[in-house]
Amino acid sequence: MLKAKNIQVYQNRRLVLTDLSLTIKTGEFWGIVGKNGVGKSTLLQTLAGLLPLERGTIAVEGYDLQTLDSISRARKIAYLMQEQEASLAFTVEQAVEMGRYPWLESPHNQQAITDEILSLCRIDDLRNRSILHLSGGERRKVEIATCLAQQADYLLLDEPFNHLDVVYKKFILQRFKALSQSQAVVMVCHDLETVANHCSHVLLLLGKECYLAGDSATILSPGNLERLFNDSD
Amino acid sequence: MQVRQWLRKPWLWAFLLLVALLFSVLVGSVSVPITEIFDKSTITYNIVWQLRLPRGLNAMLVGSCLALSGLLIQNMVKNPLADPYLLGVSGGAATCQLLVIMLGLSLSAEALFLVGFVGSLLATLWVLKLSYHGRLDASKVTLNGVVMAFGFAAVISFMLSLADGQQIRSMMFWLMGDLSFADPSWLMALLLFISYALLRRQHTALDLLARGELFARKSGVNAERLNLMVFILTALLTSMAVAQAGTIGFVGLIIPHIVRLLVGYQHRHLLPVTLIAGALFLLIADTLARTVLSPIQLPVGIFTAIIGVPVFLYLSRRM
Repeated sequence: MLKAKNIQVYQNRRLVLTDLSLTIKTGEFWGIVGKNGVGKSTLLQTLAGLLPLERGTIAVEGYDLQTLDSISRARKIAYLMQEQEASLAFTVEQAVEMGRYPWLESPHNQQAITDEILSLCRIDDLRNRSILHLSGGERRKVEIATCLAQQADYLLLDEPFNHLDVVYKKFILQRFKALSQSQAVVMVCHDLETVANHCSHVLLLLGKECYLAGDSATILSPGNLERLFNDSD
Repeated sequence: MQVRQWLRKPWLWAFLLLVALLFSVLVGSVSVPITEIFDKSTITYNIVWQLRLPRGLNAMLVGSCLALSGLLIQNMVKNPLADPYLLGVSGGAATCQLLVIMLGLSLSAEALFLVGFVGSLLATLWVLKLSYHGRLDASKVTLNGVVMAFGFAAVISFMLSLADGQQIRSMMFWLMGDLSFADPSWLMALLLFISYALLRRQHTALDLLARGELFARKSGVNAERLNLMVFILTALLTSMAVAQAGTIGFVGLIIPHIVRLLVGYQHRHLLPVTLIAGALFLLIADTLARTVLSPIQLPVGIFTAIIGVPVFLYLSRRM
């Protein structure tokens, strides 16, 4: 269980969410919806334990995220950034291997898991290419694969379908759905239709002090959607 | 691909280093036949064992320190133009050591080493403190480091314009870097080895850090602790090199780039090869500096650039 209680979220010292509580359980597939700048990405980073928390608590399986050591945290929570800066010329295989960092001390067969993830994400053929020389969509696939290689219980994905073609989007969405049977998946997504059709739960961010959370059918009711589209603040 | 596999083997580099060291003790204003190296009855025995070998070892140690700290700092501030002198390290050391020379205090080489070391460490800590607001800001480090370097350069120029002719000669030579100044220090070798061992243990984490701090943190790296360790080691390695041999330019800038082109981006390969390649590079440059116009000894900084620039340009076209 990933449990946020009364958290206050800041983005570069600007208060974006004043008091939010949320409980994410294994077996749930969450969609986070809201307008630009409402704090979706900041919330996701906060839930991933990557931002300091000034008020409230976040606990994963009962452990406080702020005091949990970084390896244990990364074994529990994987986070996909919205945009990953293209940096150095690592190969695709090396990049995906990096997702194994929290498990390096464990007795797993790292190479076998990396291979498995590469073929699972259908990027086997890119294995030896430099990540600098990939297209935007191919790079996104590598980032998703890196995230999956982490084998965490909670997947926090920030706009995972950016740059992806429709075929791959459909494919990887099914993967996420399958994963959410045994793990928990939370994704920020601007495509309301995808969220409505595939997510079991929705967090609808309407403003600083206004959010709705619950199962998707209830939250994405016509009345609530009207609020999303009509709210001018 | 095949060539790259070979270039990743540290023992190959170690072998080249050994050959270079042997060559460097044989050549010079007096050339020594290889058969006389172990012959105690000859005068050349002293030249080899008391002059050239210590100087060669010194070049190797200083070269390793500079190359390794260059690798670290380029990784950390994500700027390919960064070099070990970025953090104001050299300026701090130079200012303190020149001040001591100018005041006419006759200190032993070890004491001067210590003065330079303390000076550079203080300068580095100052730059870091200026760039630390809750967490270390890499772009601020770069900017503050460059600004501090200008400040120190002004102080150094001021001292040079006050110094008399005799002092200026020794100060200038020191500013351009001079490997004959001090004997190789065992303490330095030990600290270099410890630094290398600490870094080697973190080679995967360093790979992740190279892809961005947020990426490293989300993947489970304790980035704050790693950054702190890297900063302390950079300051330590550069301070030792500067205190030992003055500011020898270009090694810390160019060697990490050359090694990346040769072995790729993983620190598993980068760390050992950079360590040895730095030693090899400065040893060759210094051997040339004292033999090309022998018996005149030229500043080694000239040759680090003369060799480094064409090698880099060639490799960046080929690889």
